[in-house]
Parts: sequence; C-alpha cells; structure tokens
Amino acid sequence: MNAMTESKGSTLVENPSVPTVSAGVAMKGDTVKVFYGAKEALHGVSLEIERNRVTSLIGPSGCGKSTFLRCLNRMNDTIEGCRVEGRITLDDDDIYDPSLDVVELRARVGMVFQKPNPFPKSIYENVAYGPKIHGMVHSKSELDEVVVSSLRRAGLFEEVKDRLNEPGTGLSGGQQQRLCIARAIATQPEVLLMDEPCSALDPIATAVIEELIDELRENFTIVIVTHSMQQAARVSQKTAFFHLGNLIEEGPTEQIFTNPVNKQTQDYIMGRIG
Amino acid sequence: MSEAVQSISASITSDEAQARRRRRNAADTRLRLYGIGAISIAIGLLGILILTLAIGGYQAFVQTHIRIQFPISTENVDPENPSEGNYRNVVREGLAALLPPAESPAQQRAMDQILTNNTQFIVRNAVVANPSVIGGALTLEVPASDIFDQLNKGVVRRATPEQNRRVTDQQIAWFDALVEEGRVSTPFNWGLFFNADSRFPELAGLAGAITGSFYALLVCFLISFPVGIAAATYLEEFAPKNRWTDLIEVNINNLAAVPSIVFGLLGLAVFIQIFGLPRSAPLVGGMVLALMTLPTIIIVTRNALKAVPPSIREAAYGMGASPQQVILHHVLPLSLPGILTGTIIGLAQALGETAPLLLIGMNAFITSPPGGIMDASTALPTQIYIWADSPERGFVARTSAGILVLLGFLLIMNAIAVFLRQRLERRW
Repeated sequence: MNAMTESKGSTLVENPSVPTVSAGVAMKGDTVKVFYGAKEALHGVSLEIERNRVTSLIGPSGCGKSTFLRCLNRMNDTIEGCRVEGRITLDDDDIYDPSLDVVELRARVGMVFQKPNPFPKSIYENVAYGPKIHGMVHSKSELDEVVVSSLRRAGLFEEVKDRLNEPGTGLSGGQQQRLCIARAIATQPEVLLMDEPCSALDPIATAVIEELIDELRENFTIVIVTHSMQQAARVSQKTAFFHLGNLIEEGPTEQIFTNPVNKQTQDYIMGRIG
Repeated sequence: MSEAVQSISASITSDEAQARRRRRNAADTRLRLYGIGAISIAIGLLGILILTLAIGGYQAFVQTHIRIQFPISTENVDPENPSEGNYRNVVREGLAALLPPAESPAQQRAMDQILTNNTQFIVRNAVVANPSVIGGALTLEVPASDIFDQLNKGVVRRATPEQNRRVTDQQIAWFDALVEEGRVSTPFNWGLFFNADSRFPELAGLAGAITGSFYALLVCFLISFPVGIAAATYLEEFAPKNRWTDLIEVNINNLAAVPSIVFGLLGLAVFIQIFGLPRSAPLVGGMVLALMTLPTIIIVTRNALKAVPPSIREAAYGMGASPQQVILHHVLPLSLPGILTGTIIGLAQALGETAPLLLIGMNAFITSPPGGIMDASTALPTQIYIWADSPERGFVARTSAGILVLLGFLLIMNAIAVFLRQRLERRW
C-alpha cells in the first residue's frame, strides 16, 4: 500500500517521444541497475512498458536487454550474486518490495524463453501446471477449459487436440515454443516477457509465432527481446535500443527504425555495430 | 595465397610427410592394441576367478541323499507323545534293515556315520508333522554325512590308503551296497538356500546369511536413501557457494574413501557401546553400511541433479513455482533414474562389505535365520568368511558356492541398475 502511494507521488519525466494515445503503463523501470557480483551490467535504465502493446528490446549481444527483461519478473533472483537497484513497478506496485511474493509476481508476469523448454510431461500437464500450482482452478472441468482456451489462444489447439496426453517434448520446435506460450498465458498474466522466442526456430515457425504475438497483444502486454531488427520492426509498436548496459534510445518502432535520434542507434540499425 | 596452398600440397606428398604419417598410424595402432590388451587381461582375470569358483563350488550345489525306509514302531515312538520318541533307535533300525548287522559297538558307530548327524531330528520332525505313520514306516531322502557326500563326489578318493582316509573300507562297502540298491541320489541342493548355518556341512545353508543381508540392506537403504537425497538436494539446490559448503563437499568425498573397517569400529564404539544396540544385529550392520553408502548416494544424487538441464528449472521458476515445487515437481523426478542407479550400485557395494560387519559381530555362528532386524544374524560375506575358516571338507565347496551366490546377487542388482538407467533415462 505504502509503495503504491509513493509511486503515485513520484514524478518521472515523461519521455516526449512516447505517443499520447498510450493505453496506460503496465510496468515501469526507474534507474534500474543490475550487478553481477561487482560488475555492473545495467547502468540505470528507465523504461515504461505500455499496456496491450508490444515493446521490443534490441541491441548487440551483451548489451543488457535480456538482463533488463529478466528483472521484470525477478528471474535474476535465481542467479547467484545478482543484485538489482532502482525501482520497477507493476501497476504501481514495487515488484522488489520485500512484502511482495515473487511467486505471485511470476503468475502476473509470465515468461517465454529463448530455447523452447516444455516440461518433459504431457502437453496437457504442461499447460495445466501454472493454474494448478497457483490454485487458480477448483475443478477438473475448469482446468480442462483453461488448458483448451490457452492452447487455442496460442494457436496450437487444432494441431494437438488429439494428443493432449503425449509428451510436450515430442512436438516440433515451433510447436514446443507455442506450447510454452500457452503454458505462460494459462495463468492469465498481465505481462508476457519473451526472451528471443524465435532464435531457435526456422523461418516458418518464426512467422507463426510473430503472428501469434500480434494476436496476443489484444489481451496481454508483451515485452520481447530480439536479435532480429526485422522482427522488432514487424511485431512491436515500441522499441528500446540498448548498448553496453545503457538504454540509448526508445520510442515508437517506426520512428526508431526510420528516423533515430541517436547516432549509435542509427549505426546499429544500419548494421554498423553489433 | 595460391603459392602457400601449393607448398602445402607439395609437402604432404614428400617422403618426410609420408614417414611421419606412417609413424602416426603406427602409434594409433599401438594405442588400440594396448587397449585391447588391457581389456583382455581384465576379462581373463575375471574368467579365471569365475572358473575357479565354479570348479570349487559346483559340488556344493548338489547333495548326496540316501533314501531309507524308517520303521516307526510304537516301542520307539509313543503315539501320545511323538516328539519325545527314541529316534536314535528308529534311525538305527532303518539302516539295519538295509545293511548286515553291526558286530560291535564300534561298528555300530561307524554305521551311524553314514547318515547326517541330524537324521534323528529330520525323522522326528517328519513324524510329528504326520503322526499317522506311527506303527507303520516312513520313507525319507536323508542327506548323507559330509564324508560320504565327499566320497560320493570323489573328493575323498578310494585309492588313498585306508589309514589316511576319513572313511574305512568297511564303510565304503556299506555305502556301495546302498548305491547298488539305487538308494543314493545327488539332487540339487536346495538346502544351500533354505537351511541356516550348521556345524555339519551337509546341512549348512545360506538362508540365515541371505535373510541377514536382506535386513541389513533394508536398514541401510531406509537410512541412506532419504538422508542422502535430502543432503544432496540441499547442497545442490539451496546451499550458498562458500567456504563452508566447499569444506562439506570435500569431506563428503573424503568420507567415500574412508576404509570400511573404520566405519565398523565406529559402529562398535557408538551404536553398540554407547547406544546399547544388540551385537550381531542386522540393525547395527545396516546402520554401519548406511554410513558407508551415504557418501556414494550423495555424490551420485548431486551429479544426477546437476544433469537436469537448467532450462527446466528456469521454465518452472518462470511459471512462478516455489523452490520446493521446482525440486519436487521437476528436478527430483527427472533425476530419479540416476539417483536409483547410483543407490543400487551403492547398495551392491554394501552387500559385499565384510570388514565392518566382522567388527560388530555379524560373524557369529547362528543356526536359524533372524526373525527381525534386532535378532543376531550373519550376512552373506561374513558367512563366506566363517565357512572359509571351517576345517570340514564340505565347507571348501560351500565357501565357493557362497561366493557364487553373493556374486549372483551383485550381478542381479547391477542388472537392475542398468535396466533402470536404460528404461528411465531421458534424452534431451
């Protein structure tokens, strides 16, 4: 409660490049610094994640984009010696507040990883896992419903409806990644984090996932880390460019790709660094 | 650039290069031959071991039996009280019907030696179990005594001069008469598995040792499996990486290398002297073996946990699972095949362990299988140790047979481990 009133009182300088037609801010990072041991990997990043939009984080390898993404659902907590400074809010609640339960946070901020990583269990069990451990369903029929609707939203249901009890690891790479998306959205998260979700997939599977991301935008706020600038241009409405642990530039995707303000951004877009 | 390529292609056809290639190929061949040689030596030694045991032990798997009809007269056995009868006389009458009458007490004693010393108890038990034979006759297959068993198997040679032989010419004549009548047979020796230890080799079996080993391994498993998994899980999943956990890790590895007799001394000093647990009990044996197995289980469990890909942990944490859920739902089930395999191999090691059991007194002479973990008992390796020390000829073969049985159990356990590994192992 205290955290909420404080954040309402705090005054963040509005970035002029953010369009005014925003549907509100889902998550907000304020001078986020990340340390791995003594090494500072992220030097004070402030970024707003807008609701029902796709925000893409781009930049060369080791620029801190994945690190920032993993701060948003506190996945960095699992890395030993990792320390986060600054303030990240979800709906104005400080997610690093000691009173906030990280389990609950991760139910609200789902994640899809670079390599498809379904559990070595059945397709059904994979999707049902989140609702089960968070006690979101009270009966088997309710669970069935959640599983089917999640698979449907992930565009996978038609392909797997006859083999829900077969292992999820038996699917193709693209199907596995959509299964992971279905698993992540089964808990009805507000925000969906995607860490290079297509880098292990072939172009056709990538196209399917990109289409899916566009559809999911209706119901979820999406943050995607990608190495592919074309992908960022195709799927996102907002783009943030990271370099060497700094947020260099952020803005509407169109503007970043056509008319970047910063020289470094321009160089990266043109393929001169990275 | 093209010049450089040309000079390289020139050099690989030169005499020098060809000589170098021949040397390299010869070195490869030599290395392969060393490997084949080493494996041949290992297989050869194993073959010699098994062959020696089989040659020495096969005789213990059969047992000379003599079929005799015992007249159960009411003079010897009171129908009211069959367990108190004069069965010594019953046995003598049974033999007397087949052989010429004894001319002297000495000859009578020599005749008594043909059948196992416990024949009267075997007959008594049969009569008590079936009292209707009193007044009639009872036909039984009775084990021959050790010396006649050895005579029948050719270990005691007829060519040996009589004064150097355990059996007299007279006894051989009696025995041959029984053979003549077709009363002597050598069936498979089930007694080896279903009898407990005995002073008489023809009756001694491994039932007590097998039961004792089973109870000891059960205790060992019940202690070391949960403790080992809990310790390994904590060290692998929760413990911070600092000097203390390094120290613990080094010491666990050291513990695995401690000679087993030290654990036996510890068991004697702590479990028996301080805790006052009974001597020779499978409970104490199992506890000592658990101390030995624990480091093995901790090490294999940690390796199995390490082998679970981090992506699975990430996926589960990303779904909002708590550490306990991540471990119980995902990591442990995935590493279970590895853990089980390692545990079985650890238990197989414990099954063959002798020294600590000697120190806690599991090498006692005990003639009945233990009824529970608190009863005095032997174990398979200590039983072999006892038999190897016994002077009777029959125990020589039984020692080898005991070793073969122990090896058989080890083989079965290792086969189960291999089966589990192949069956349950998951490929990523």
